[in-house]
Amino acid sequence: MKSLVKKIFNANIIVFFRNLIKFRQLKVSLNEINTPKSISDSFCWRTDQGFKTIFKYSDILGLFYGIKDSTVFLSFYNKENILIKKLEIKELNYSNTLEINSKLLDGIEDYGVFYIFHKTNSEVNRETIISNRCYVGYSKNNNLYSFVHGNTYAKSDNIELHNKLKSHDIIKTSLNRQKYKIQNYFKDFTKTELFFANPTENIINIDIDNKKFYLGKRQSLILEVSNMNSIIFNSNCLYLRPIIFNYKDSYFDVYHG
Amino acid sequence: MNFFFGIKTENIFSNLTIARFKNDGKNSEKHLLCKVAIKDSKWNLEILNDNVINEEFYSINEVLSDNENIFFLAQENEIEKFDKYKLKKLNTFTDTFPAYRSNLKISIRNGGFSSFQSEYPFDMVLKKGSILSPVSVLLNKNAKENIIFIKNIYEEPIQKKFNLFFVNIEKKKIVEKIELRTNYTNSINVNNELIKPEIYLITDKYLGAPLFVSIDNMHMSFEHTHPPHEYIMSNDKFKIISKLKREISEIIS
Repeated sequence: MKSLVKKIFNANIIVFFRNLIKFRQLKVSLNEINTPKSISDSFCWRTDQGFKTIFKYSDILGLFYGIKDSTVFLSFYNKENILIKKLEIKELNYSNTLEINSKLLDGIEDYGVFYIFHKTNSEVNRETIISNRCYVGYSKNNNLYSFVHGNTYAKSDNIELHNKLKSHDIIKTSLNRQKYKIQNYFKDFTKTELFFANPTENIINIDIDNKKFYLGKRQSLILEVSNMNSIIFNSNCLYLRPIIFNYKDSYFDVYHG
Repeated sequence: MNFFFGIKTENIFSNLTIARFKNDGKNSEKHLLCKVAIKDSKWNLEILNDNVINEEFYSINEVLSDNENIFFLAQENEIEKFDKYKLKKLNTFTDTFPAYRSNLKISIRNGGFSSFQSEYPFDMVLKKGSILSPVSVLLNKNAKENIIFIKNIYEEPIQKKFNLFFVNIEKKKIVEKIELRTNYTNSINVNNELIKPEIYLITDKYLGAPLFVSIDNMHMSFEHTHPPHEYIMSNDKFKIISKLKREISEIIS
C-alpha cells in the first residue's frame, strides 16, 4: 500500500503539479531510471580567452564494484549543443586525467559542455546507478589549474554496453519559476563570468539583472556580470547552478555556485 | 544547521563570507553571527556584532578565520539554548537544498586567491567514522606546493588525536601516517610521491572535510573532494561504500 502511494506521488503528472504549486517539489529525479545507469554532470570545457581545461575522473566501476573491463565514453558539445568530439578511453587507472585544449577539439577556441559515461560488458546489478562527480581544472595563460567539482546531474546513459534504452531528464523544469541567489559577495571582483548549462531537453529561460536569456536543449552560455553585490536569477529550471569565474588583477577563481 | 570555518598557515590566510539569506533569496536579518571556540575545555560562544558587510552578508577576516574558530547563524532566543559542553542543533535556518554555504576564500599575500562554497553540516559533528578520498584528483604534481587540509568539527569541546593514512590501494600498503586533532583545521604538506592515482587518504576514528590546495607562481587552486557515497546513487550505496572502506581499513589496522 505504502509503495503504491509512493508510486502515485512520484508519477510524472503528479510531480508536474507538485512542482507547479511548489508542494514537496521534486527538482532532481531518478524515478524514470530502471536499468543500470551512469549519470554525468554537464561539465564545462573552455579553450577560449587563453583557457585550457583538465578533467580528472575516477574509474567508478573498477573502484567500487571491482569491474576490470570498464570503459569511459566522453562526448564534447559546443555551446549550441552540437557534438564536436567523441572519445572512448579504456584501461583506466583508479584516477585518470585528460587535458582538453583546442588541439584535442580540432582547433576550436570556445566553450561548451562534455559528458562522461561509464560502461562495461560485465554483469552489473539491475539497480545500479552511478554518478561521476569528477573534478575539472581551468588554466588561463598556462598558469596553475584551478579546480572545481561537478555540481549538477545532467544526463544519464546505460552502463551496459549492449543496452540502447533511451535516457530521461534528471533535472526538472516547471511552469513555475525558481529563484536562486548565489551565497557570495561579488563587489570586490573586476569581473565575474557565470557559466550556465541547460541540463534538460527543454528550452529554459533565465532572468538575471533585468535581462532574459534563453537556452535551448542542453545549450550553454557564459554571461559576464560586474558591479553587482549579489547575484540572483529566476529560471523555469528547478535546479540550475552556474559555475562562477571571478577575476581580480591577473588572477581568477572558479567554483560552483 | 551548518557550521562555517577558516584556514590559516604561515603563508595562507582565509576570509569567510556568510550570506544572511537562503539560496531561494529569503533574507533573515534576525540571524546573528556566532563564533565558537574551545576555551578551558568548554565551548565558548561570542556574538560578532562588527562583521556586517551589509544587510545581505557577514564577513570574517583573516584574524578570526583561523584553524580553531567555527561560526554559525542563530537568532537571539536560539542562542540561549547553547550548550557549552556539547554542540547542539539550534535551528534549521541553514538546512536547505541546495546546501546553505559560506564562501571560504584563501589567499597568499600579494598573490592569487581561490575559493569554494563551503559548509560543515551539523550531522557530521555528531558522528565518528572515517573519511576516504583520492589524493591525486585535486592536487598538481607540477605545482610548487601541495597541501591537504582536514577540517574536523566534533560535538564535544575536546582536541583528541586521530590518524590520517596515505594508503596505496593497489599494493594494500600504508605509505605515510600523520597525526591529526579534532576541532581543528589540520594541514599536511604533500610530497609529490603521494600524488598518484593509487594513493588514497583515510582517517581512523573521526570524520572531516578534506580540502586540497595547490600553489604555483602565486596562483592557487582550492577545492574539496566528494565523499565516496556521492558516486553511487542506487540504494546499495552504503553497502558498497562500507565494503570498500572495510577493505581499506584492514590495511591500516
